Amino acid sequence: MIVTPKIFARLAIVAILAVLLQLSFFSRVELLHTSADILPVVVVSLGLLGGSMTGAVAGFSIGFLVDCLLVAPLGGSSLVLLGVGYLAGLFRERFDIHSALVPPLICMGATLLAELGFAIVQVMLGVDAPVSALVVRDMALKSIYAFFWTWPIYFGLRRLLRPALVVESQRIVRRRRPTVLGARRV
Amino acid sequence: MYRKQVRRRRAVLALLIIGSFVLLTVTYGQSSGSVQGGVSAVFSPLQTVADRALKPARDLVGWFDKTFAARGENSKLTEELASARKQAVAGQEALSENAQLRKLVELDRNPPLAESAYKPVAGRVIGRSPTVWNSTVTLDIGSGDGVQVDDPVISGDGLVGRVASTQGGSSQVTLITDHESAVSAKVLPNGVQGVIRPNVGDPEDLILDFIDSTRHVHGGQAVVTSGWRAQGLASLFPPGLPIGEVTNASIVEQEASQQVHLRPYADIANLDLVQVLTGHKR
Repeated sequence: MIVTPKIFARLAIVAILAVLLQLSFFSRVELLHTSADILPVVVVSLGLLGGSMTGAVAGFSIGFLVDCLLVAPLGGSSLVLLGVGYLAGLFRERFDIHSALVPPLICMGATLLAELGFAIVQVMLGVDAPVSALVVRDMALKSIYAFFWTWPIYFGLRRLLRPALVVESQRIVRRRRPTVLGARRV
Repeated sequence: MYRKQVRRRRAVLALLIIGSFVLLTVTYGQSSGSVQGGVSAVFSPLQTVADRALKPARDLVGWFDKTFAARGENSKLTEELASARKQAVAGQEALSENAQLRKLVELDRNPPLAESAYKPVAGRVIGRSPTVWNSTVTLDIGSGDGVQVDDPVISGDGLVGRVASTQGGSSQVTLITDHESAVSAKVLPNGVQGVIRPNVGDPEDLILDFIDSTRHVHGGQAVVTSGWRAQGLASLFPPGLPIGEVTNASIVEQEASQQVHLRPYADIANLDLVQVLTGHKR
């Protein structure tokens, strides 16, 4: 990803908007007693579009903002989200995405990984109460919701960040028909 | 060139990971740092605007969810209504008897112990934590409205939690379903005492722990805050705040683990308007 000041501003707005939407809307809306978590989806999408550095920095920043707003111990969410963002970016750097199903499936897996990460960080910090088995259901449903939310989020972000995407600009160049001087259009 | 890029990438990743661990180490156990307070103060107006703007969309999704849930609850509620009617008749008798007894012992002349010692301040929930591990909500009222750390928070149905941190125009509330929450409580009417602890991951289930295993508790009994006071120390919560209703009270679990399960009265998952009980001197 070619990060110009304009693209940086867009990324910052995306991060802030995602956090505000998560805290004010997605966390407060439940389907089957579980709310969706779009933050791993946003981080993974940025990683898939921009590479490992973009994914890691976006994950760290979004996690930091969430912890600040919730007045939770700083660093917990950052650590987990930078991890999934970096892994998504690595995937993008090593493999080509040939199918439209790949990003949703990766987001689904990464959300499950992120939820496990949150659980591990919390266990590391100490859990002072018994843990219900419903936590597993919560993780599974969150990753299923992530699958569906990836469609608008990933493709929306791709559209928003198109000028900065290396692969996209190459595609545009490839699609353009070669110009031949003196040729007549048929 | 490529190696240089890889090295730079790894260095940034290492820096971010170390940064996360340093932040965790430095801020763990602190209620609210200056960075968090500042960021929260800047973003709370934005959260309020987002909350208002997204309320119709939230209500729409909530309507679908509740419609599905209501189908299953309909028959159960019909049965509960029949038993509640009987209890209401008995309750009215008890109320009139209680009023007479209060006059007799002149409790009304003494300063009340419960809610009237507090000044309730109404607030709206503008944010909620995305994971089940941190069960917290953000309110649009803060220290500027008289809210202090550890103030009890209630909804129309019962106890919700306590204030964990405050800023000028916003505050964070640790819900009773958070793993750090512990509330001293008693079962009505027999007064069995215990500590309410959450069952992390299940907001519909609380555990009344450390109860006296020789005095049995039954399903359907109400649980309220006990509001103890001893040797200069006092509970954060006033006595008599409704918490929930006992759902699962097997004798085996009571005798073996000294605990029963209850369902909170407050709809923790769908909190919107709450009251913070402020102004209490500790």
